[in-house]
Amino acid sequence: MPGARVIAEHVTRAYGASVVLDDVSFVVEPGELIALTGASGSGKTTLLQLLGSLDRPTSGSIIVGDTAVHRLSRPARFRRETVGFVFQLHHLLPTLTVSQNVQLPLVAAGVRRRERSRRALELLGEVGLADRDRALPGDLSGGERQRVAIARALAGEPQLLLADEPTGALDSVASERVWRLLVAARERHGTTVIVASHDSMLAEHADRGLSLVDGRLVSGSSDGGAGEEAA
Amino acid sequence: MTALFAPLSSLRRRPGRTLLTALGTALGIATIVALLAVAGGAEHAAGEFYSLGASDLGLFQKAAADPTTSVLSTTLIPKLRRTPGIADATPLLLLVGEVSRAPGAIVFGADPSGFLTQRLVFSSGRMLTSRRQIVVGDQLARQLHLAVGDTLRVHGRPLTVVGIYHIGVAYQDQGAFVDMPLAQSIAGMDGETTTIAVKLGVTERPAAAKRTIAQRFPGLTVIADAQEATRAGANAQLVSNAALVIAVLALLIGGIGVINTMLMSVVERRSEFALLSAVGWSRWQVAGRVLVEGVVTTVIGAAIGLPVGVLGADWLVSELGAQEFVAPRTTAWGLGRGLLVGVLIGVLGGLYPAWRAARVSPAQALAQG
Repeated sequence: MPGARVIAEHVTRAYGASVVLDDVSFVVEPGELIALTGASGSGKTTLLQLLGSLDRPTSGSIIVGDTAVHRLSRPARFRRETVGFVFQLHHLLPTLTVSQNVQLPLVAAGVRRRERSRRALELLGEVGLADRDRALPGDLSGGERQRVAIARALAGEPQLLLADEPTGALDSVASERVWRLLVAARERHGTTVIVASHDSMLAEHADRGLSLVDGRLVSGSSDGGAGEEAA
Repeated sequence: MTALFAPLSSLRRRPGRTLLTALGTALGIATIVALLAVAGGAEHAAGEFYSLGASDLGLFQKAAADPTTSVLSTTLIPKLRRTPGIADATPLLLLVGEVSRAPGAIVFGADPSGFLTQRLVFSSGRMLTSRRQIVVGDQLARQLHLAVGDTLRVHGRPLTVVGIYHIGVAYQDQGAFVDMPLAQSIAGMDGETTTIAVKLGVTERPAAAKRTIAQRFPGLTVIADAQEATRAGANAQLVSNAALVIAVLALLIGGIGVINTMLMSVVERRSEFALLSAVGWSRWQVAGRVLVEGVVTTVIGAAIGLPVGVLGADWLVSELGAQEFVAPRTTAWGLGRGLLVGVLIGVLGGLYPAWRAARVSPAQALAQG
C-alpha cells in the first residue's frame, strides 16, 4: 500500500482557553519520513493525534490520502485502514501474547485467524522477533516491546505511520534498531512516516523536519534541511 | 467475531479479578437456585397438603389462608355423598404442633373406616380402632424411633402406637392419624373438620364435579390438583411470591455486583480500550469485548453457583429446621433458570461498563499512559 499525502491547513486545537496547536499548515508527500520536533508541551503529540483521528481539531482541515480526517464520522475505520501508531510506552496488552498483540488491527479488520497468525509471524520476522511470538510482553525487554509495537503498527499495511517518541525509553542500541525498522517500513512499503522525537538520531534518518514551538509551526517547508530542523 | 478474540486469555491472566467477579455472580445464582428449590419444595408440599394425596378433590372453607385454618361442618358430608358424581366423602382434621417431640409433624384426625385411611399400607401393626390409639407414618416413626406398642403423646395425651404405615405422601408419612372425635376434642372443633376429602365416581370428570359442588355449596373451595392448590392457598401463594421477590432481589444484588466489578475493571483498563480504539476497533467491537468477558465470567460463576445453590437449598432447609415440611426440589428447569439468570446478569451487568469502555477517549487515555 503506497504512502498517503498529508495536508494540514490552518489546524488549531484548543482546550478551553488553552491553545495547544495554533494555525498549523503543512504538506507531507507520500513516502516521506518526517521528523516532528519541538520541546515538551510544544504540541507534537496533539498534532499526531489529530493526524491519526484520535482527536479532532478545533478548526482547520486535515486530509490524509482521500480522507478528510477532520470530518470523519467513523474514525475507527480510518484508523484501521489507513494509520499505524507507535507510542512511546508501546501500549502492548499485557494479557495477550506478542503474536496476539500484533494481530489486534487485523482482528478489527475481520481477517481470518489463520491469515492473522501468518501475517503476525511474518511481521515479527521483519522486526527480528519471530521466535518470541508466544511470549507475553512482560517477558520482553523495552527494545523488544517497541519492535512488537512497530510490527503491530504495520499489521494493517497503513499508508501513514505515526510514531510518538518511539525511542524515548530506549538505550542507544535499541533506539538505532527502532530507527532502522521505521526507515525500512518506509522503504519496503512506501509508507509515509511522521515521527515525533527528541532523539538526535532522528535527524540522520528523516527526509525533512517540522518544528513546533508553543503550538506554532516555525519551520517545515519541503526545501528545509532535516538536519538543522530535527536537531 | 472481534469480541471473541482471546477473551479467555484476558480472563485467565487476571485470575484474581475473574474469580472475584465470578464469585459475585455465583453467589447471586446460588441464592436463586436455592430459593427456587426451597420454594418449589414448599409449593409441592403445599400442593400435597391441599390435594390430600389420594383423594380426587379436597374441599376447604373459602378464603381460608391454609388448610389448618379452614372450618367446615361435618353435616356437609352426608349431603356431599348424595351429590351426583361423588362416590364418597370423608372428613380430615389437621392438627399442627401437637406432637412435642416433632413439632413439624401433622396429626390427621380421620374416620378409620373412611376411604383415605383405607389406603394406608401398614408395614407393621394395623389400623386404629379406638380413641386412645394412633397410627404413625414410617418417616415419623423413624425420626422418633417408634415401634408398635410404644406411646406417643399428642396434645399431652398418651396414645398407643398400633400401626406404622406408608402412603407415599410426604406430609402423611411424616405425620400420624388419630380417630376423628379425638382430633375434634383436641382442636375444640366438635362437629367440625378442617377439610373434606372427596372420591369421585369412576366416570366422573373432576372439572364437572367441581362445577356441581361449587353450585351446590358456594362456601367451599374445591381443589383438584397440586398446582391449583398452591394458587388457592394464601400461605402457599405467599411462599411462592416471597421466593419470587427474593429471587429478583438476588438478581439485582448479583447484577449490581457484576456491574461494580466490571466497571472497576473498565476503569482500570482504560488504556487497554483506548489502545484497541487507536488500532482501529470500533466502539461496538470494544463494547462487545467487554460484554463477552462479562458473559464468560458469569458462566464461570454459574458453574460454581449452580451446585452451591443445590447444596445450599438442603443446608437452608436444615438450618431453618424445616426438613419435616419441605424437601427442596431441584429441577432441570430450576437449574436452567439459574443459568439463564447468570447469563442475563452477565449481559445486563456488562452493558453499562461496556458503554463506558466504548466511550474511552483514546487520545486522553493513551496520553495518560
